[in-house]
Amino acid sequence: MAIVKLDKVTRSFGAKQVLGGVSLQIEKGEIFGLLGPSGAGKTTLVNILTGQLSCGGTAEIFGMNCGRIGREVYRRTGAVLDNCGLYERLTCMDNMKLFACIHHISAARIAEVLREVGLNGSERLRVRSLSKGMRQRLQLARAILHAPELLFLDEPTSGLDPATAEEIHALMRRLRENGTTLFLTTHNMDEAYRLCDRIALLHEGQIVEEGQPAAICRRHCSDSELHIVTSDGEDLSLPSLPQNAEVVAALMREGKLRAIHSAEPDLGTVFLRLTGKELTQ
Amino acid sequence: MTTAFALLRKQIKDSLCNFQALMVMLIYPLVAFVMITALGSEDGMSGMFVTMFATMHASFAPLVTASNILSEEKEKGTLRALIMTGVSRQQYLISESLFVVSVTLLTGSAFLAMDVFTRDRAAAVAAAMLCGAVLSTLAGLCVGILSRNVSAANGMAVPIGLVTALLPMLARFNESLDRAARYLYSGQISRVLDSGKLSGEFAAVMAVYTVLLAALLAILFRKKGLE
Ligand SMILES: Nc1ncnc2c1ncn2[C@@H]1O[C@H](COP(=O)(O)OP(=O)(O)OP(=O)(O)O)[C@@H](O)[C@H]1O
Ligand SMILES: [Mg+2]
Repeated sequence: MAIVKLDKVTRSFGAKQVLGGVSLQIEKGEIFGLLGPSGAGKTTLVNILTGQLSCGGTAEIFGMNCGRIGREVYRRTGAVLDNCGLYERLTCMDNMKLFACIHHISAARIAEVLREVGLNGSERLRVRSLSKGMRQRLQLARAILHAPELLFLDEPTSGLDPATAEEIHALMRRLRENGTTLFLTTHNMDEAYRLCDRIALLHEGQIVEEGQPAAICRRHCSDSELHIVTSDGEDLSLPSLPQNAEVVAALMREGKLRAIHSAEPDLGTVFLRLTGKELTQ
Repeated sequence: MTTAFALLRKQIKDSLCNFQALMVMLIYPLVAFVMITALGSEDGMSGMFVTMFATMHASFAPLVTASNILSEEKEKGTLRALIMTGVSRQQYLISESLFVVSVTLLTGSAFLAMDVFTRDRAAAVAAAMLCGAVLSTLAGLCVGILSRNVSAANGMAVPIGLVTALLPMLARFNESLDRAARYLYSGQISRVLDSGKLSGEFAAVMAVYTVLLAALLAILFRKKGLE
């Protein structure tokens, strides 16, 4: 069942068209990644889906038009967005208590969620004294407090150290196992590849490719390469074609083969091929 | 109801950690207290000071506080977070207004304790302070809706607040200013605090400002929402 449905969604700011007819469906229980370079329109799309921006075309979540979502939909969704802040002067616990009270959620659940994101022990710290990673965890804790069915994450790990990012990835996987649907945006192709069940590549407001990350790579990499390092220290790049098998075999016979890798294009390379642009810049 | 309670509790805790917000709410009662303590028994003078500072308190403090709260929530994105948990914008505005009016009256009650307003004047004084707090809060919300961030809000709220707060005081020394101050809600509040009596003119001016500010707030809210 599709939880999010976008059909030819458009959005302009003044004369500038940011989204030019985006169509997508997100199924229940998957981690869906929207991948694109800075300025592609990822945040704009999330803002449309969370009812913060109007759009052309149809955008629906839980079968409800995004332009008219209200309390019922907000109770079923959570979001970690740049423009959703925390109360800086209050403690972690007071921030959580406010939202728990609005959602009619018990104190026990707050403790459980804080433990889940690894913030137990930091309840009494004021938000302004938290590091970036801790803030991000607290935002995540707030977003999952009411056990939403659908979670929006706009670049949840950008600017975080790899260890913290990995913990957040693990949490996202646990959420998926519990049946939560996740929609994340990122320009980190590695993150998208390892984490997402399906991704869409967004470029200048258009979806240029969509599907399972591995399948996308395979689709665009019939022409993979072999990277070879010889014992003389020489680097060779060979297209992995049958006629090159003899070259490899000869190196092996002569004992000159030090290392061999197959270089399948990653999502970044696919993106570059499709658009002529780098994914991260 | 639980949402209103949660918002109120949040606002109380937040304001207690916000030195600037505390100062705005406490400065006029404090200054008035220091003045009458210093002046001692020179009755005429201390009465005038208390009236002046009470007028300033009722017109300046709620305006700046309301606009600051709203614009800070917009700037930091906390309002967006509240709305995305299903808090309605109207519910938010009502809760914050109740908070600002209550705190203004609570801190303003210090003026009643200063022994300048006799008991028979207390009811009129309280009514005038309440009117001032409500109208200034409405004006503060309008400023908050118009401002993207706290510095923009202060840039607008402080000059408006200074005019409404200072004009009644200056009117004491200048007749044409006095005529102008009559049509200003703070001018009327100052008169009631002075005389200790509510008048028809006071009621009329309050009614006109209530209608004007409520209409302005409704129009701005319709046009701009709380984005
Ligand atoms: N409120 C706005 N007014 C005008 N232009 C806007 C507005 N919001 C976004 N844009 C423009 O829309 C384009 C897409 O912005 P968006 O924030 O959606 O990109 P993004 O893919 O999220 O980028 P990033 O990875 O840097 O976050 C940008 O060119 C931006 O300048
Ligand atoms: Mg973005």
